[in-house]
Amino acid sequence: MTSAVAITGVSVFTPFGVGAEALAAALGAGRVAVEPAPELSEVGLARITDFDPLRHVSVRGMRVYPRATQLEICAAALALTDAGWSGEAALDPMELGLVTASSYSHLQTLVEYDRGLVSVGMQRTNPTLMPLGLPSAPGAATGLALSAKAFSITLNDGGASGLAALGLGAHAIRDGRARACVVAGAFTPFAELLESSLRAGLSASAERFRVLDREAEGVAFGEAAAALVLEPLEAALGRGRSPLGVLRAQATRFAPPGASLASALGRAVSAALSSARLGSAPAATAAISLACVGANGDPREDAAHLDALSSALGAAAEPVVIAAPKASLGEMLDPSGLVQAVVALGALRARRAPPIARLATARAPSPRHPTAPVELAPGAALLTAISPSRSCSALLLSLGGE
Amino acid sequence: MQRRVVITGCGVVTAAGNELESFWSTLMQGAACIRPLAAFAHAEMGQLSGAEVTLPPEDRLPPAIDADPLRARCLELGLAASRRAWAAAGLTSAAADAEKTGVCFGTTMGEERQVGDLSERRKAQPDAGVDASFFARANNHRLAAQVAASFGCGGPVLMTTTACSSGNAAVAHAFDAIRSGDADVMLAGGADVLTRLIYCGFQRMGVLSASICRPFDKSRDGVSFGEGAGAVVLESLEHARARDARVLAELAGYGMSNDAHHITAPGPHGEGFVRAVHQALAQAGLSLDQVSYVSAHGTGTPFNDKGESEAMLTLFGARAKQVPVSSIKSIIGHTNGAASAIETVACVLAIQHRAVPPTAGWRDPDPEFELDYVPGQGRPHPVDVCLNLAAGFGGHNVCLVLRRFS
Repeated sequence: MTSAVAITGVSVFTPFGVGAEALAAALGAGRVAVEPAPELSEVGLARITDFDPLRHVSVRGMRVYPRATQLEICAAALALTDAGWSGEAALDPMELGLVTASSYSHLQTLVEYDRGLVSVGMQRTNPTLMPLGLPSAPGAATGLALSAKAFSITLNDGGASGLAALGLGAHAIRDGRARACVVAGAFTPFAELLESSLRAGLSASAERFRVLDREAEGVAFGEAAAALVLEPLEAALGRGRSPLGVLRAQATRFAPPGASLASALGRAVSAALSSARLGSAPAATAAISLACVGANGDPREDAAHLDALSSALGAAAEPVVIAAPKASLGEMLDPSGLVQAVVALGALRARRAPPIARLATARAPSPRHPTAPVELAPGAALLTAISPSRSCSALLLSLGGE
Repeated sequence: MQRRVVITGCGVVTAAGNELESFWSTLMQGAACIRPLAAFAHAEMGQLSGAEVTLPPEDRLPPAIDADPLRARCLELGLAASRRAWAAAGLTSAAADAEKTGVCFGTTMGEERQVGDLSERRKAQPDAGVDASFFARANNHRLAAQVAASFGCGGPVLMTTTACSSGNAAVAHAFDAIRSGDADVMLAGGADVLTRLIYCGFQRMGVLSASICRPFDKSRDGVSFGEGAGAVVLESLEHARARDARVLAELAGYGMSNDAHHITAPGPHGEGFVRAVHQALAQAGLSLDQVSYVSAHGTGTPFNDKGESEAMLTLFGARAKQVPVSSIKSIIGHTNGAASAIETVACVLAIQHRAVPPTAGWRDPDPEFELDYVPGQGRPHPVDVCLNLAAGFGGHNVCLVLRRFS
């Protein structure tokens, strides 16, 4: 990494409300948003209630957009406001880029449109729906809403999309392709996805859903949206913004079938540490005080997150405090890495890590797995994610002044 | 000092051929491969036409990867093109450093056929459910992951979608991975299939050609679809030299822009193309005067071709008529997310063969734009620097700059 990339704005929508403060308060209290899914009671589901996009953002066509796209647009717009770029201070559209983390947020529209083609016939379908069913549509609609003209890219990588998108956004900023880049994503669970994952044996009921627990047996999905604004650190300081954090490095590695997920994730962590230039290898690993992991209740993945930390950090892993926001929010897929980043920044700033909700029998001994909020030593945060197709991603971030 | 990135292998599966020789030969002849469609029909649209790929048996998807190849056609095509590119580069799994070898692919629709299949089953049986594999197939990243798994790659594996510029976007991100040192070798490409939804959706939007598309022609009336995949092996120059690989071309830079104008219509006057080209050439350290060929997006729709032609006039000014601009979409159809990946391969071949492929079907000039669209058949031309332009629904423009390696 040749020049530092600052995070100057964040926004998050979860079942606990809008904003990082509402999320931090709920996680700190150990709350869990997962409940039985109304359409499929065998699986757990965390859903945002009372969401009206026009309460947050007014853009042309908002009512037509699918819910996940509405959530992404709202998150992206609020993050820009948080970064100080709204209204009269809005950034020149030519200088604003967008990276969207989205694998599934178009899919419900696609299913509905195709069903209409077959059931009512082509001539009676709404022609505006089809383009909204493309995998790139949520990003296209968000780019249009923000008037982001520098670039608009969408990455599809399931639960690893968010961290990879942050890495790609940071790369674009360092390359000078935009003055600022919004990295955004949203996920709205829907019936076909819940049913398919249940049949694949991936799901857990609301009652039995837990994360990083020896009794964990599967995933519950959660609705969420999040966005972060990236810009060069020097430029942020130059316009008088105090950065919320600095994105130090990001790396993605793949675990071919037969290879261990923990090994691939460990390699991603090592690659990120190596490019973060936090000093010598021991100094770099010792600088990490928090690991905000993407563990989601899948026993294999939960184990892989912990094993990767142990293998990549060695003895330095011992004092690292683990945070696992999906224990409270469920598996949010595309925006999950972004939500992890928001949670980690809040924890670093407050010097306090949230507990892992519902943790009864930890996979590793406490204090690494707090069941109550714990003090954090000053340092950096390491974020990890694993996608359903075995892509493993790691990201390092720290507060602006460190 | 950023690393130089070179192309050492190419592969395609298209209606114009599944091997580079037959593909290039068909392109140069300007022989349209758009024919009555065999894969499926649609009662409301009558006989459909498109450019379908015929794969040899050895390219069929093994049940171990997917037990239902019909619903995994995109993966089947992507793997077939990747295998060809990998072999052409002379790479073996053992030769590549897994940690430093990655994949980046792009698609517009992915495995949309499984959604169509679900709709059909629900029509027959309203409470028909989805199966366990729906979730996995719905994740487009599975394509990049399976390609990576096939060659033992352990480096960065990414999947991108910017609609019909996805192939170029994938090559661009792979370029970044090598240039930054995150990888030494990246297999990059795009794949897409013909689906009922694509035909019906575009018909309802009024952008499907009534016959065969005629990019840049005065009477152009829309797109003709095709399916296929294209893939290239990118390497750092040091890595290619260390293994004595044959360098086919250099990927010198890329540019991206977003129209942010309309969810489907391109921005006015090709302004987004212009910005992407300027950015790409700046990264490549090249000037417009050095550009000798433009592989156009050239879909055959009135708006795209107008904007792209306006962009050429803005960019090249008095020299515009001297720079050949052609689109191969009237030969192999518009292959959506695969299109610009396949066109990247065509650009490499243009450099290699010192020739430019034609815009098949172009007959009558649009009086507003008198450019050299390479009518009829391909012709010899010294291609040293070429631009590969692509645009996607939503306004995603990506331009690659390829140059003869020296």
